[in-house]
Amino acid sequence: MSSLQELSHRHEDEAKLAESETVPRGAPILEMRGLQKKYGFVEALKPATITFLAGEIHAIVGENGAGKSTLIKLLTGVIRRTAGEVLWCGKPVQLATPTEAISRGINAVHQEVVLCPHLSVAANMFLGDELNRNGLMRKRAMERAAQAVLDDLGFQLPAAAVLSSLTIGQQQLVATARAAMRGIRFLIFDEPTAYLTRQESAQLFRLIRRLREEGVTIVYISHRMEEVFELADRVSVLRDGTHVGTRLIGETNENELIALMINRSIEQIYHKEKVPAADVIVETRGLSGPGFEDISLSVRSGEIVGLYGLIGAGRSEFALGLYGRQPVTAGEIFWDGKKVAIPNERTAMDLGIALAPESRRDQGLCLNLPIGLNINLPVFRRLSSGPVIRRRDEAENADRQIRNLAIKTPSRAVLASAMSGGNQQKIVIGKWLSHGARLFIFDEPTVGVDVGTKAEIYRLFGELLKQGAGIILISSYLPEVYELSDRLHVFRGGRLVASHDHRAASHEDVLTQAIGA
Amino acid sequence: MSVETTTESAPAPKKGTNILLGLTLLGLLLALWLALGLATHAFWSPNNISNLLRQGAMTAILAVGQTFVIITAGIDLSVGAIVGFTSVIVAWLLQAGVPLWLSILLTLLIGVAIGAFHGFGIVRMGLPPFIITLATLTSLRGIGLLITNGSTISISHEGFTNFSRADFLGVPSLFWMVILVAIPAFVYLHLSRFGRYLFAVGSNSEAARLSGVNVNRTIYLAYILSATCAALVGVLLASRIGIGNATQAEGWELQAIASSVIGGTSLFGAVGSVHGPLLGAFILATINNGANLLNVNSFWQRIITGLLIIVIVYFDQLRRRGTR
Repeated sequence: MSSLQELSHRHEDEAKLAESETVPRGAPILEMRGLQKKYGFVEALKPATITFLAGEIHAIVGENGAGKSTLIKLLTGVIRRTAGEVLWCGKPVQLATPTEAISRGINAVHQEVVLCPHLSVAANMFLGDELNRNGLMRKRAMERAAQAVLDDLGFQLPAAAVLSSLTIGQQQLVATARAAMRGIRFLIFDEPTAYLTRQESAQLFRLIRRLREEGVTIVYISHRMEEVFELADRVSVLRDGTHVGTRLIGETNENELIALMINRSIEQIYHKEKVPAADVIVETRGLSGPGFEDISLSVRSGEIVGLYGLIGAGRSEFALGLYGRQPVTAGEIFWDGKKVAIPNERTAMDLGIALAPESRRDQGLCLNLPIGLNINLPVFRRLSSGPVIRRRDEAENADRQIRNLAIKTPSRAVLASAMSGGNQQKIVIGKWLSHGARLFIFDEPTVGVDVGTKAEIYRLFGELLKQGAGIILISSYLPEVYELSDRLHVFRGGRLVASHDHRAASHEDVLTQAIGA
Repeated sequence: MSVETTTESAPAPKKGTNILLGLTLLGLLLALWLALGLATHAFWSPNNISNLLRQGAMTAILAVGQTFVIITAGIDLSVGAIVGFTSVIVAWLLQAGVPLWLSILLTLLIGVAIGAFHGFGIVRMGLPPFIITLATLTSLRGIGLLITNGSTISISHEGFTNFSRADFLGVPSLFWMVILVAIPAFVYLHLSRFGRYLFAVGSNSEAARLSGVNVNRTIYLAYILSATCAALVGVLLASRIGIGNATQAEGWELQAIASSVIGGTSLFGAVGSVHGPLLGAFILATINNGANLLNVNSFWQRIITGLLIIVIVYFDQLRRRGTR
């Protein structure tokens, strides 16, 4: 018996799962019947009937706001349903609290890791359920057991390490291992690969398949179509709070799913504006700094320069260096042909550089402040007479960006935290549109953003190019940089290892260069 | 643009909740005054009202300065010690024969210097605000005691000591000082871009930095304003009690923080106003004043104040959750 099974059996005994609460593989384990959730008058989930089978990987796709989060929250007992019923192993259940859901073996792994960063990996895996002898923790035993589970799952992670010393991707794997240890029968993944590298994603997929073999039902929520087709057995599509269909994966294709999700074809998404490239806006020569070395590239007016690489390849660090956030230790920057120094962010902004940073949550937005304040933050100087803000201009500028970008909010006074990922990204972009830069750096602009909003963001790129701007597009999502970039630079280990003109290299070549295999 | 199909369960706009909280607190303050007026005749006597306004004035000024700091998600524990220390400084300067205006100016500049030191510790040395201001709290008391050799400095300048007892247009001059501080504070926090930066730094300093906000300068400014408000209170206190004494104003930092929090400031940063801490300070002053009038044991006053902080902030939390 594997160490994973041993541990998860320990929990099954404790949870005292009734023997009646089992179903054979392939039989319905959880059935939603007319499940509905209303917030006031807003119907977040219209009555939906979906059946999940024991031991299947069931993908759920849909745009932001389509009702996926609502569905997860209903099934994990975080919120209570308005109407409908849920059958668990054929019997109606309440799922009124998270505790009830967990005791039945229903668990979720979230996109953002919710663990204790200062504790060790082992301590996190056993959190709330520590091995102990007479009330004293058995630290060594827990580390051994946790290590056994990690090894067993094929994760090369040290159980004794402090969680925060791991990458976000590795932390995600720890969170999954933690869930896997706890006698789960129904595991929901909410966009688990948003912050993972390819290798980490591959490890996660192996784990997911393995859980399926052990009879666990997996609900897999993702914006990434290729993952859905790689992993899932069946897929359900939500649109605007409505369950619009469930398909066997072999009987559908990407185009059909996207059509179900948004009523639009895939060609329209990667639509690229053809703008003739003009003068060079910025050029770097041998630029080096923390995390990047000897980077020479240039961006011309009217072109998109793509930077592709794995997370940690030095692309974001290069962007932060160019933007004056990180010190540049060597090399030169030329702006409009003239040599410049960019010692801080303000200098970069005054030159005409805008940066939509990698992490909306950590770098992009003041989440607990209003949308309007966020949009205006870079331009308050322009909206003020001396120190005093002209309130009307402040309101007008915010409203204009909200309108232009179709940010879905009743008012500029709503807090940024209340917005979905796609709308938050639009707020970040709105900040820089009102600043009116000539070089836009977009770092992972479409992470956690739905297909419809992606298309809007790409269309916006086209508009910026037409106005004479140049764009640096940093992305870990190959189809995106591949289709959109006039010139594609591949980063690996802090260095620029290859450059290609638009579509000059194959996907495989680019990937190989990025991984260094 | 398209994609109008998805629904967003955005909450009702938060606009106006600030004002709403202000009104609730104002209601509470008026209710307290009404109740105390009914319970004791002495409450509404001109003497007592003047006294109440004087009592509340100094906490109110401290609380406004404190609020700037708390909005940046920081804390200034040193303000009570600064009050005691600067009361010594102003007394010492006056007794040394320095002209009144210069004595006050120099004392305020010392406040600026202390605030700048806090900013330096936080921005350059990377110390947590709690630690650096805790350090000045104890050190300043020590320095003040060294200067005075543990005793007090009496102030013989009559114009100076008369100021705190004087009225202007029937209102105590100390209360006028609150207005003098509150108006520019309101302009700074609510009408100027630097006020917006204060909120942005408190919410997410990295996002603020990447948006071109000078985060370091914003933090310096917040602590300088807080310490300068405290130095002003030190001058006012010296005027009121006619002495400089380094051990005065013990625990006033907690009064200031409590006033700020009662006034709706969030200790997590990015939430706060100018009118909130003012109302908070006068609610606390009213409770103390009322308890004195009703002959409530002063030990009980402390307990009541503690309970009040819990109740008011708890209701504020409930209200916030409700709008979310």
